[in-house]
Amino acid sequence: MSKIQRIILYLLVLITGAAWIGISADTMTTTGKTSAPQAGFAAPDFTLRTSVGEEYKLSKLKGNAVLVNLWATWCPPCRAEMPAIEKMYQEYKDQGLVVLAINMTYQDDPASIPPFIEEYGLNFPVLLDETGAVGAAYQLRSLPSSYFINRTGVIQEVVIGGPMSEALLRTRIEQILK
Amino acid sequence: MLTLFRNLFSPPRHMILLLLATWIGLTLAEKRTERYGVSKEDLNNITYYGLIAFVIGGRLSFVLQNLPAFIKSPLGIFSINPDIFDPPGGLAAAIIAAVIYGQRRGLQLWNTLDSVTPFFAVLSIGIGLSHLAAGTAFGMETDVVWGIDLWNATRHPTQIYEIAASLLIFGLVWLQKQNPHPGVLFLTYAALTAVTQLIIQAFRGDSTLILNGLRQGQIIAWVALAVIFILLEHQMGDGNEG
Repeated sequence: MSKIQRIILYLLVLITGAAWIGISADTMTTTGKTSAPQAGFAAPDFTLRTSVGEEYKLSKLKGNAVLVNLWATWCPPCRAEMPAIEKMYQEYKDQGLVVLAINMTYQDDPASIPPFIEEYGLNFPVLLDETGAVGAAYQLRSLPSSYFINRTGVIQEVVIGGPMSEALLRTRIEQILK
Repeated sequence: MLTLFRNLFSPPRHMILLLLATWIGLTLAEKRTERYGVSKEDLNNITYYGLIAFVIGGRLSFVLQNLPAFIKSPLGIFSINPDIFDPPGGLAAAIIAAVIYGQRRGLQLWNTLDSVTPFFAVLSIGIGLSHLAAGTAFGMETDVVWGIDLWNATRHPTQIYEIAASLLIFGLVWLQKQNPHPGVLFLTYAALTAVTQLIIQAFRGDSTLILNGLRQGQIIAWVALAVIFILLEHQMGDGNEG
C-alpha cells in the first residue's frame, strides 16, 4: 500500500468515525431513570422495620445522603467495618447523612442481632431483611455490600466487600453529601 | 451460563480475571519478545515494575486526591480495600516506571512496545471479562434478540462485544508474522482498540455525555485514533528502522 493510499484510508476511517459519533449521540443517559443496584441508577426502593418495629422507606429519605450497608453478624468484614460506619454516622448525621444497616436476617440468627448492636454501640437504624427481598433487589452476592446514595436517590458508588476504612467511607460520604 | 459466570466472578472476585489475563498475557509476550530484540528478562522486569508502580501509584493518586480524609485517618492508606484506587493515576505511574527502566537499560521504545503488545491484547480480553462479571460498562436497553438481562432490563451485551473484539484483535496480533517497521504491531493493536471503543461506546448505557449528547468515550477514542495514525505513518515512513 502506497503512502497516498494509506493516508486516504486514515482519512476515511476518521471521517466515518466522526459520522458515527454524530449518529450515536444521545441526549440522555440511564442515570436515575430506572432502578438497579449499580452506580448511576436510582436505588431500588424498600420498606423495612427495625427489631423494635420502627419502619423505614428508602424513597421517603430523598433529600438526605443515604448509606445502605448490607451485613450479617457472622460476617467478619461486616463486623470489622461497623465501628468506622458508626464513627462516620456521628460525624456526618447533622449534615444529612442517614445510615441504614440492613441485616440479612434470612441468613442470620435474629437472636444475635440485639447483642451485636449493643456490643458495637450502634446508633443508626438496623433494619431486618427477614424474607431476603432487599438482598434480591440489590442482587446481593457478597457481604458486606455498601451503596452510597446521593440526595436525589441515585446510587453514586458501590463498594462490594470490606472492611471499608474510615478514610474510604469519608471520601464516599462527602461525595454524596454534595 | 452467563449467570453462573457472574456468580462465580462477582466483585471482588472479578479481579481474579485480571490477574489471570496478566499472567497469560505475560507468558505469551515472553514467547515472542526476542523477535523484537528485547530479552525475556527485560520484558519481565519492565512489566513487573510497571505493575508494581500501577498498584502503588493508583493508591497514592487516590490518597492525594482525597488528602483531607486520609489526614484524619492516615491508616486508611494501608487498607486492603481495593476501592482506594485511582486507575488513571496508576496508569501514569506505570508508564513513568516503564520509561525510567527502559531508559536505564537502553531499550528501544518501539521495539519494547511491540514486545509487550501480546500482553496488552490479552489484558484487554481480561478487562472485558471483568466488566461482564461485575456488570460494569453495561449497554443501553434494547429489544435485540441477543440482549442480556442486566440491571433490571434487557441490554446490549456491550461487555460481550468488547470480549469478542478483544479476542479478534489478539488473534490478529498473534498471527502477525512480519513486523517490517518497529512500533507497527503496537500501533496496529492501539488503532484497532480505538476503533473498537469508537463503535462499542455507541451502545453503552453508562456513557458520560458532553457537548449536547456526544459520548466522551468516543471523542477520546477518535482523538487517540488520529494520533495513532500520525505515529503509524511516521513509523511506516521509508528508511525508518526505529
